[in-house]
Amino acid sequence: MALSVAGLAKSFGPTVALRSCTAEFRAGEVHAIMGENGSGKSTLVKILTGVYRPDAGTVAIADGAGSLVAMPGLRNPGAAIRAGIMAVFQEVLVVGSRSVLENAWLGADTVFGRRAPDAEKRARAGEVFAELLDARIDLDAPAASLPLSRQQACAIARVLLREPRVLILDEATSALDVATRDRVFAAIARRRSSGMSTLFISHRMDEIGEIADRVTVLRSGASVGTLDRDQATPAKLVTLMTGAPNLAGGKGAHQRIERAASAECVLRVRDLTLRPGGAPVSFELRAGEVVGLAGLEGHGQDEFLRALWEGDPGGRVLRVSGTGQAPIRSARHAAGLGIGYVPRDRRSESLFAPLSILENFGAVTSGDDRRFGLLSQAARRARLSRYAARLGVRMGKPTDLITTLSGGNQQKVIIARWLAREPRILLLNDPTRGIDLGAKRDIYALLDQLAAEGVAVMMLSTEVDEHVELMDRVLVFREGTVGAVMERARLSRAALVSAYFGQEVPA
Amino acid sequence: MIRFLRSRPYAFALVLFVLLLIANIIAQPRFASPSNWAETLAIFAPFAIAALASTPAIMSGGGGIDISIGPLMTVVDMIIVAVLLPHGLGAPWVVVPVCLVLGAAVGALNGTLVTLLRFQPVVATLCMNFILTGLATQIEGGSTPQGSAWWTDDLAGSFGPVPGGLISIAVVLAIWFALSRTAYLRNLYATGGDDAAAFSAGVDVTRVRILAYTTGGLFAGIGGLALMSVLMEGEASDATMYTLVALAAVALGGTAFTGRRGSLIGTLFGAGCMYLITNLLSAARVPDTWTDAIYGGLLVVAVIFSAGLANATQARTT
Repeated sequence: MALSVAGLAKSFGPTVALRSCTAEFRAGEVHAIMGENGSGKSTLVKILTGVYRPDAGTVAIADGAGSLVAMPGLRNPGAAIRAGIMAVFQEVLVVGSRSVLENAWLGADTVFGRRAPDAEKRARAGEVFAELLDARIDLDAPAASLPLSRQQACAIARVLLREPRVLILDEATSALDVATRDRVFAAIARRRSSGMSTLFISHRMDEIGEIADRVTVLRSGASVGTLDRDQATPAKLVTLMTGAPNLAGGKGAHQRIERAASAECVLRVRDLTLRPGGAPVSFELRAGEVVGLAGLEGHGQDEFLRALWEGDPGGRVLRVSGTGQAPIRSARHAAGLGIGYVPRDRRSESLFAPLSILENFGAVTSGDDRRFGLLSQAARRARLSRYAARLGVRMGKPTDLITTLSGGNQQKVIIARWLAREPRILLLNDPTRGIDLGAKRDIYALLDQLAAEGVAVMMLSTEVDEHVELMDRVLVFREGTVGAVMERARLSRAALVSAYFGQEVPA
Repeated sequence: MIRFLRSRPYAFALVLFVLLLIANIIAQPRFASPSNWAETLAIFAPFAIAALASTPAIMSGGGGIDISIGPLMTVVDMIIVAVLLPHGLGAPWVVVPVCLVLGAAVGALNGTLVTLLRFQPVVATLCMNFILTGLATQIEGGSTPQGSAWWTDDLAGSFGPVPGGLISIAVVLAIWFALSRTAYLRNLYATGGDDAAAFSAGVDVTRVRILAYTTGGLFAGIGGLALMSVLMEGEASDATMYTLVALAAVALGGTAFTGRRGSLIGTLFGAGCMYLITNLLSAARVPDTWTDAIYGGLLVVAVIFSAGLANATQARTT
C-alpha cells in the first residue's frame, strides 16, 4: 500500500464537494479516478496536494518501511511534496519567463539552499527530458517559447525529478501530443517497479484502459466502487458514474411545456474553430428551442458560448433575422441584436456587489427609465416589480443591496436584467451553479416559458440531469470541438456521460 | 551585439546611458576628468541605491511595490546624524550594523504586512511611508541636526583612489551577487514570473516575498548611509522626493511592474540615465522645471520599447 484515504469530506458553505471518499492505492499501481463533473475528483486531488484541508477523514501515506503513516499536516503544496505526493494538472503550470531547466527544478530548492549543484541539475534534467521527448530540448530556452505540449513536459519532468511516491496526473495528458503522452506512460511504467503509484485522471477511456490497473469511480462526492482492470468495461463504468438520478424531487418533477421548435434559424455558426487543431463547429440555433452545452469541464463549451456572445474575429458567428444576417462583432453589438448573456461567475462577471437590487436590475436598460431626460426611479421600480413577480424573486425592498439576497435570487435578478431587454436569444453560462433547488426549478420553468414564447435559449450546464430534463438538443463537447449532438429522444444520463468520455451511446 | 541587446530587457536603458554619457562629455568636457568622479558618484549613489532598493519588491510580483524606500533612507540618515553621532557612537562598526538592521527590519515589516496580513502592497508601504516621514520629523525636532565622521567624509569623497560612492553602490550589487549564488534569486524570479506555478511546485512564495521586501529595506539602509555622508545633515524631507523618481528609474531599467521580468543592473542603468539627463539639462541651461516632464516622456518611450522588445522576443521563438 502506498496511500490510503478514508472518509474524506469537504464542503464549501452549503455546497458539498466531497461527501465520503475512501480508496486505497497500492505501491506500483496505476489507479484511475473517474467521475462526471462535480463528482469530487478535483477536490480529492486538491486535498492530497495540500491545497484544501479536509473537513473530515484521513490521508495516510506509506513511510520508507512500507507501513502507513497518517498525514494530518498537508497544509500547503510544499508539505505534500515533501511527503512524496506530487501532481501535474490540466492547466499547464510553468513560469514562462524562466528557462526549461529552472522550470524543471522549480520548487526543489529551499528558499536559499540548492538541492543539487547546477551541473548535476542540468545532467539529471537532460536525462529525464531524453526519456519524455523524442527530440533534444534547449534547457536554457524560456519555457514560454515552447509549444504547450513541451511546457507540460516541463511540468511532468519537474515531478519525476523529485522521485514521487505518489504521482497524480489530473487530466495532465490532455495538453500532451500523442507521442509525448506515450513516452510519459512508458516513463510511469519504468517507475512502477520502484514502487511509485500513479493516480490517473483522464477523460479518455482508451488511456485508462491502456495503463490503469484499477479504477475507482466517484459519484456526487462519494466513492462508489473500485474495479479491477478486467472488470472495468466502459458500460459498467458509465453505470457506476451515473447511478440514480441525483436531482432531488425525482424524475418528472419538472413539468415541461410541450412545444414544437420552429424552423426559423436565429443564430448561425459557420466553421468556428475553438482551439488550434480542433475540428471546426457549425451550428444553427432555432427560435423556440432550448439547447444544452455539455461535456466534462474545459472541453470548449465555455469558449463556444462566449464566441456566440462576443463574436469571433473571423466573423463566423452570425445573427440571422428576417432581413438577412450579420456577423456579431462584440458583446455590445450582440446585445443590440437582441441577444442576452448570463455569465458564469456571478461575483466577478455579473453582479455589482456594492449596488442595490434595483440598480443591478436596471444596469443594461437605464435608458428605458428616462422621463424628460432624467432617470425615473418610479419607472424602474415598476419594471422591476413586473419581472420580480414573473421570476418569483424573494426580496425585501428594491433598494436593499443585491448581496442581501440568496444566490438563487441574485441569479434571478441577473436574468431579469436581460429579460427586460426582451431578447430573442438568451445565452446562459451554467446559471444554476451553486443555487438552491427551489430557485433552480423557477429558472427551469422560466426557460420553458421563454421557449414557448419563441425565444431561442442556449444554456451551458455542468449538471447531467439538467440536460436530460430541460433540453431539446444537447451539444457534447470533447477536446475543443462538438463530439456529439443528441436530440431529446436520445437523452439519458448514461448516454450523456458515455459521450463525455467519447464512448458510443449504450443501446 | 543586436542579439545581446534583444535578449536583455534593459537594452533601452543601456543604449540611452551610453548616448547620454557621450552627450554629457561633449557638452561638459570637465565631466570626464577623473578629479570629478568622486563627487559625481557620491551625489549619484543615494539616488541609485534608492532605485536599486525599490527593485526587489517589484520583482516579487503580485503587484509588489515599496514606496517607503525614500523615507526609510531619511530616517536612517537622521538616526546617524541626530542620535548616533551626538552620543559618540560614530564608529563604522556601530553605524553600519545599525543602518543595515534598521533597514532590513522595516523591509521585513512591509513584507509581513503584504503577505501574511494581505495588505495591498501600495497601501502597506504608503502607511510605512507616512510612519517613517512622521518619525523623521520627530527626530529632527525643529532644528536641522548636522554632523559627520572621518569615514563618512571618505564615503562622500574617496577611500584612497576609490570613490566612496562607488563603494556603497558596489556593496549593494555584491549582496545581490551573493544572493544570486544561492537559490534565492531563482525563487524570486519564479515567484514574480508566475506565483501560481511557483506555489504549486512547492516554492515558499510567502517567505520569498517577505525576503524581497527585506532585501530592499537592507539596501535602503545602505542608501541612508550614503545619503548622510553627502548631506552631513538630517532634514525630514530629504529623501522623500526619491520615492517616485526611484520607481521611474526601475521602469526605465526594463523591470516590469507585473514582476515578469527585471534586473538590478537594469535599474542601475535606469538611474544612471536619469542622473545624466538632469546633468545634461543643467549644462544646457534648461530650467529645472522641465526635468520632470522630460523624465515622464522618456519613461513612456522606455516602457513601450521594452514591452515591445519582450513581445518581439516571444513572437520570434514561438
